[in-house]
Formats: sequence, C-alpha cells, structure tokens
Amino acid sequence: MTLTMFHILVAVADRERHGYAIMQDVASRTDGSLRLGPGTLYGTIKRMLHDGLIEELDERPDPENDDVRRRYYRITPQGRKAAMAESARLAKLLRQARATGLAKA
Amino acid sequence: MFERLYRRLLRAYPAEFREEYEAEMLQTYRDRATDEPAPHLWADLALDLIRTAPKEQFAVLLNDIRYAFRMMRKAPLFASSVILTVALGIGATTAIFTVVNAVILRPLPFKDPDRLIQVAEKNDKLHLPNFTASVLNYLSWKEQQRSFEELGAIGNASEVFSGRGEPEQFNGSPISPSVMRILGLKPIVGREFQDGEDKPNAAHVVMLDEGVWRSRFGGDASIIGQTRNVNGVPTEIIGVAPAALKVMTNSDVFVPLTIDPGREFRLNHVILVIGRLKPGVTRQQAQAEMDAISRGVGQQYPEVKDWGISLVTFYDTFVTPQLQTALLVLLASVGFVLLIACANIANLLLARAVARQREIAVRTAMGASRSRLLRQMLAESMTFAVIGGGIGTALAFAAVRAINVGLPPNVLPIPQVTIDGTVLAFAGLATIGTGVLFGVIPAYRLANADLNETLKSVGRAVSGSRPVVRNTLAAAELALATLLLIGAGLLVQTLLQLERVHLGFDPHNVVTFQLSPPQSRYDTPKAVALYRRVLDTIREVPGVKSAGISSAIPFGAGAYTRTPTTTDNPTAVPPGTAIPIDWRIVSPDYFKTMGMTLIRGRLFTDNDGPTAQQVMIVSHETAMRFWGSDDVIGRTIRPVARTTQYTIVGVVSDVRHTNLNQEFPAMYYPSAGRLWPSMDVAVRVDGAADAVLTAIRQKIHDIDPELPLANVRPMEEWVAASAAQPRLNALLIALFAGVALLLSALGIYGVIAYSVSQRTRELGLRMALGAQRSEVVGLVVREGMTVGSVGVAIGVVLALALSRVLSSIVFGVDVRDPKTFVSVTLTLIAVALMACALPARRASRVDPMVALREE
Repeated sequence: MTLTMFHILVAVADRERHGYAIMQDVASRTDGSLRLGPGTLYGTIKRMLHDGLIEELDERPDPENDDVRRRYYRITPQGRKAAMAESARLAKLLRQARATGLAKA
Repeated sequence: MFERLYRRLLRAYPAEFREEYEAEMLQTYRDRATDEPAPHLWADLALDLIRTAPKEQFAVLLNDIRYAFRMMRKAPLFASSVILTVALGIGATTAIFTVVNAVILRPLPFKDPDRLIQVAEKNDKLHLPNFTASVLNYLSWKEQQRSFEELGAIGNASEVFSGRGEPEQFNGSPISPSVMRILGLKPIVGREFQDGEDKPNAAHVVMLDEGVWRSRFGGDASIIGQTRNVNGVPTEIIGVAPAALKVMTNSDVFVPLTIDPGREFRLNHVILVIGRLKPGVTRQQAQAEMDAISRGVGQQYPEVKDWGISLVTFYDTFVTPQLQTALLVLLASVGFVLLIACANIANLLLARAVARQREIAVRTAMGASRSRLLRQMLAESMTFAVIGGGIGTALAFAAVRAINVGLPPNVLPIPQVTIDGTVLAFAGLATIGTGVLFGVIPAYRLANADLNETLKSVGRAVSGSRPVVRNTLAAAELALATLLLIGAGLLVQTLLQLERVHLGFDPHNVVTFQLSPPQSRYDTPKAVALYRRVLDTIREVPGVKSAGISSAIPFGAGAYTRTPTTTDNPTAVPPGTAIPIDWRIVSPDYFKTMGMTLIRGRLFTDNDGPTAQQVMIVSHETAMRFWGSDDVIGRTIRPVARTTQYTIVGVVSDVRHTNLNQEFPAMYYPSAGRLWPSMDVAVRVDGAADAVLTAIRQKIHDIDPELPLANVRPMEEWVAASAAQPRLNALLIALFAGVALLLSALGIYGVIAYSVSQRTRELGLRMALGAQRSEVVGLVVREGMTVGSVGVAIGVVLALALSRVLSSIVFGVDVRDPKTFVSVTLTLIAVALMACALPARRASRVDPMVALREE
C-alpha cells in the first residue's frame, strides 16, 4: 500500500468525501506538507476502486456548493481491513523505532 | 483562460482516464484556483501532470497488450498464421536489406573512402573506358602529380608457400608500400611494408591476409619474423594485413611490388593504380591535372599518345551497375511480398472485425469511446507485428549466416555481410510500418461501424461492410504478384539463356588445376621442359584422354590478359587500326582437350619454340575483325606494344572466356616459346575424375615435391560459378514471386469466400426463385474475376513501366518480352479463377431452405 493510498483511506474512513475534500483533508492533517495533485489523486482513486478498497457513491451536489454535482467515495470493509493492517504494521515499526532511539517516546 | 489551458493539458492522459475523471479534475482545479496563489498552484499541477500522465498511459498500454494476448489465446490458429506471415516477411526483407546495406549503403572498409580514387587508363580509339595502368606511366604520374597525397600500385601474381608440410599456392598481390597508407589500414600484427622494400635488391618480405593467417596459420602471432619459402625464395613474414586489404586486392598474401624501370616498356598495362586525394582537392580538379600530365607523357612517348586517364571513385570500382540493380530489384521484390502479406493480414483482420462487430457494438453502447477502440485494435495488430518482427529478425540473423556461408565467392565485393544498427533500425521500422499498415484499415472500419445498424441486425448475418476495401486490397495483391512474376520470368529466362550460351568448348569431363613453378628454380626453358614432362606423365595416367595447358582457362582463376593488337595488312578495317584482343599461351593439345575446333590451318607443335618462326593461332572472331571472310593463314599480327610480327598458322572456334553474355576476339601463343608464371592445366578424362586426380597428384609430387596443385576444380564448376549472380537473382526473385502468387491467391480466395458467406441468404433466395446453379456460380466467379482482372491489368501496366530497370541484368530476352507478359497474365488469371472456383462451388450448394430459414 502506498502512502497516498493510506492517506486517502484515512480521509474517507469516518465519512464519505469527494475528491477535493479528500485533498483538503490530507493537506490539513499533514499541515499542508502533502498536497495531492489531481492526477495523483484520481489515478490513485482509480486503482483503489479497482482493488475494492473504496467505493463510489451516487453523484450528488456538494452541500457547501449547490451548483456542482460531485462524486463521493467511502471506505469498503476490505479497505478498512487493509488500512488496519497497515496501521498495525506502522505502529509496530514505530515501537521498534522508539526502542532503538530513532523516535521520541 | 487558465482553466482552458488545464483542460488542454489534461489531454496528456489516456482517453478512458479523461472520460472518467476529467470533469472531477477540472472541478478540483476550480476549487483550488480560488484557494491558492496561481504560481504555486501551477507548479504543483505541472509536477503532478508530469508524474502521473505517463503512468496512466503506460497502464492503459499494458492493459491493451494484455487484451491483445487474450484475444490471441482465443484464436491461436489465426494468431499464429498472422505472426508467421509477418515473421517470414520481415525476415526475408531484413536479410535482403542486410546485403544492400553492406554493399551499397555502408562505407567501404577504408579510411575516408570518399577521397579514394582508382587511377585508370582509357583509350577511346580502342573503346577501353577503364583499363589497368602502364607501369612506366605510373612512375611518370607519381613524379608529376600534386592532387593526390600519394599514389600506389597493385599487381597480380600467385605465391607458392612451401617448407612446412605440403606446399600451398595462394592468390597473391604485389603492392606498393604506399597502398596500406593510402587505404588508411594498419597491420593487425607485425608491421607493414616500408618504402625501399620495393627496390629490386631489397630483402624478401611477405604479409599475410587476416583470413588466411587465422585459417591456415591458426592466428598465431609468433609467425611474425619466421621465414618461409615463397616461390622458392626464403622470405620473412613481417605482418598480417586486415581483411579490408583483401577487399581491395582479392588476395591472400602480399609482397612488395618491385619495379625495375630498365626492364619495363611503356605499353605494358598491368597494374591497378590507386590514390588518395589531398584534402580540398576535388575529383574534377584532379582529373584536369591528370589530363595535362597524360598529354605531356603522350608527347614525350608517342606510343601512348592515344591513352588517357580516367579517375574512378571507389564506389564505382566496387559496386557495378549490375550488382546495384540486382540488389535494389531484390529489395523491391521482397518489399512487395511484405506489402502483399500486409494486405492479406488486413483482409483477415477485416473479416474477423466483421465477426466481432457485435461485440464491439455492445462495448460501444456500454460507453467505450471510438478512440479507445481504435487504439485497442491498433495495439492488437502492433502486438502481432512486434512478435512477428522479433521472430523475423531472428530469422534474418540465420539467413545472413546462411548467405555468408553459402554465397558463391565474388558475387559480392565484400567477404562478409553483417547485421548492424542500421539493419536493426530498418527491421524495427519495417515491423512498425507493417503493424500500422495491416492494422489501421480494419481498426478504423471497426471503430466507425454504425452502432445502431449493427445492434438492429440481431439474428441476421451482418451485411454492413462494404466490399470495396477488401476488393481493392485483393486487386493490389494481384497487381504486385503480376509485377513480381513478370520480373521473375525475365530473370529466369536470362539464366536459361546464359546456360544455353554456346560456350565454344565442352566443359564436361574436364578437370583443371593450376601450377606455379617458382621462377627462382625454373627459368623459362626449365619451366617449358617441366610442363612438357608433366603433360607427358599425365597422358600416361589411365582414364586420361588428353591434357593441355593455358595461361588462363575460360572462367578460371588465371590472369585475364587483353592487349591492343594490330596488323600491317588488314582488309576489313583501315590499316593501323588496333583492336583489344584477349591473349592466352597454350600447349598444342589444349584445343583438343577443351573440345575446340580447328577451322583452318594447323595447331601448334612442340617445335613452335623461341628459335622457330614466331607463330600465333587466332580465334574466328579475330580473323573476322581484321580480314572479314578473307583467308588469314600466313598473314601477320602484332600486339601494339611489341615489334615482333606473328604469323598466323591456324584459326580456331570462338570461346566465351570471361563473360557468358559477351564474346571477345582471342589469340593464342604457343607454350613452347613463352610461359605465364602460373598456368592452368586442363585434363579431359574418361569417366570418374577423382581416381585420375589422385594419380596425377602423385605423379606431379614425384616430379617436384614442392609444386602444389592449386584451384583443383571440374571445368563445369568454373562455368557454373560465372553464372552465380544471375542464378542467385533468378532463384531469389522466383522464390519471392512464388510466395507472392500463393499469398495473393489466398487473398482473392479469402475475399470471395467471405463474400459468398455473407450473401448466403441472397443466393438462397435467388435459387428459391428459380436461379440455376450455373447462374450462381457465374455470379460469384464474375465478382471474383472483376477483382482479378483489374489487379492483373494494373500489374501488367506497372511491369511495362518498370521493366526498363531490369535491362542491365537481363540477357537474351527483351525486357518487354510479349511471351513472358502473356504467359504470366494467363497464369494469374488461371490462379484467380481457381481461387474463385472453390467458393463458387460452395455457393451453388447453398440449400435455399436452410439459407432462408436463417432469416
């Protein structure tokens, strides 16, 4: 799983979001250091849809911006499982990094 | 405005990605454009585009190729026949191109070959446009010229190596020390000749050709500095010359060309002179200078006043117009075969495309875009092409190896052809071109098929495809096949004419070999005695009918000698006229051995020696040229370069000596009086030659164990070798034409069979309404033959227009030979008829009930 994929899964884990919202969410949670460009974002979304990690909902208007219809995405059970496995892997890695003094406790 | 720019940039992504996400991406852009400063946003967008667009494109390509392979697995027979056709086409085309590249396109293996020149002599009065140079003239040129960095000379000789094991004879060339410098060649090991080593009393040194060094001396560098007997004289091996020197000289060993001006005479034209132009000097400037020098020499020495100088580029020296024409004709032919193959595959794909129209229509209805379908079809045909091209290139490597091994020597001016970057690039381009050519029409047709029509025709045979495209392709195939068959017909007839040429001698049951008694041990009287003894001994061998010697048997490996000759009392030409005549030195029994006939007078005897009257036998052609039908016995003849008058004692039949398609006047000196350094021995045998040869070898070994037999070959083989190039031309083009005929027959069969299958319902209806079987057959055949006759007619017109190209390689038959044109036309019509007959028969068997029930 790539870092971009994991970020997107985190962004759509608790609520369904459209593409720009995913981008904004990732940016805000990384303090603006990771900005997903449109090609990266939708290229990754395409692959995640194909792999069944996320699913697309019906197109519907953005509540904040009524005049545009947008596609919404949310996590699938399979995506949740994959994200949890990845989280566990990262947590374990972080523990090991702490033990060897590479990360603050 | 910026949004439009971004929309434009999004085209970098594949169509299906855009269809899916373009709107979203534009929306994202709009959202961000309100939030972020423009420079920052655009830097971000540009980076994103560069990173992700290629990735998406590649993913789609991979997908298409995967899809193509899936389709291939579904129809393995179809796929393998397409791939095989492409492989054979690309393989053959690439192999022929390899030869064209090596001979015509690739520079000669010398340094700056553009500045290399052959300095030839010419004599307009004698119609000799390109003759070898006179040794003394060469010395005069060397002294006076300023246009060339240097001039060098190459002579001709045979060298006999002995001293270790059996003696061996090699083709040798005496060369000036400057020759290697002029060509820009460096020895592989050891050193080259130095100035001064060509002086009459210099130490004896020899260089070996790279090939001989590797094959006969095991590529052993320690041979340098060793001494071997060369022509009976202890000689030091000083170096090994690169193979390029053999390209220039066709020799295996090299010795310094020694010139002793005191013993030369000015009309002795025996050396090949080459030179390297100084930088900045053009060939025209050099020609002007050499013309002036030649005039000066002519004034000083009146005997050469009719001789001028002709500067010939190395390209013209090496690549004859015949060879160039032959190669380009072969390349075009094999290219046509490839085109026909493309047309055939295109037709196959078209037929299959129609079968897949429903599948495609459904996919289009489900939202697949046209451009996407087009691309997928092209990816499929490209996959076919690339696999076929890959196999084809492998085949070409094998073919090139076969060419290098199997090609008779001297057909090409270079010893080896190799596949290089140019050839690989050619194979790649041909592969891509092939894929596009056979893929684009079916793909385009398919992607533009009318969706509604196709979907509406549920349960019915799809009829929507216009037959025009397929018919055009089939007609084009036939046109090209006609062109090739006519070319093949002309070249095969050329070969037959050459083989039927009246040689003037009987090559059957004659074996030949060459002897070169070293001049250090055999002066002329001793050599004359040696040959007399050798011939007497050979005659005693059981199975030998007769034996003779000649300074050069026809088509053999000996030296071809030609000299301007005149007579004081001609009757058919004005007095003083000189005619170039081939001269040979022969023994009395030579004529009988070769099966030549004495027309008038007598043959030589052993008494025609140096102290007797100087006599000559001339060929019928020589007699005719000087004296017409007058009796020539007792008249005299004289080579222009000499003062001796030779009395004609006999006239013999004409013989083709050097060229199957050309007859040249000849004259013969008796071998009792003079000899050539190496002489050909011809032996007429009675039955098996092998046992006789073994016995002869033993007898000669008994006479002189250091005297090798060189170039041992049946006379028939020498004659056959001289037709090697025409034979190869005829063989290859006949092969290509055969393949073309087969492919185009399949092509027209496919088109008609397909058309019949499409019209089953219509034909059934006709028969239900009372049409006779013969009428249905006529209907189908008429359709096929319309296509066929249009194709053949176009082919004939093309052949008429292009036939002139062949004129330099066709012999004994007109390039617009009506017989060839008519028989090829009839053949093709017959083949087209047969190709139509099968589907027509099937059409006539259509059961009206079954056909109509399909409705």
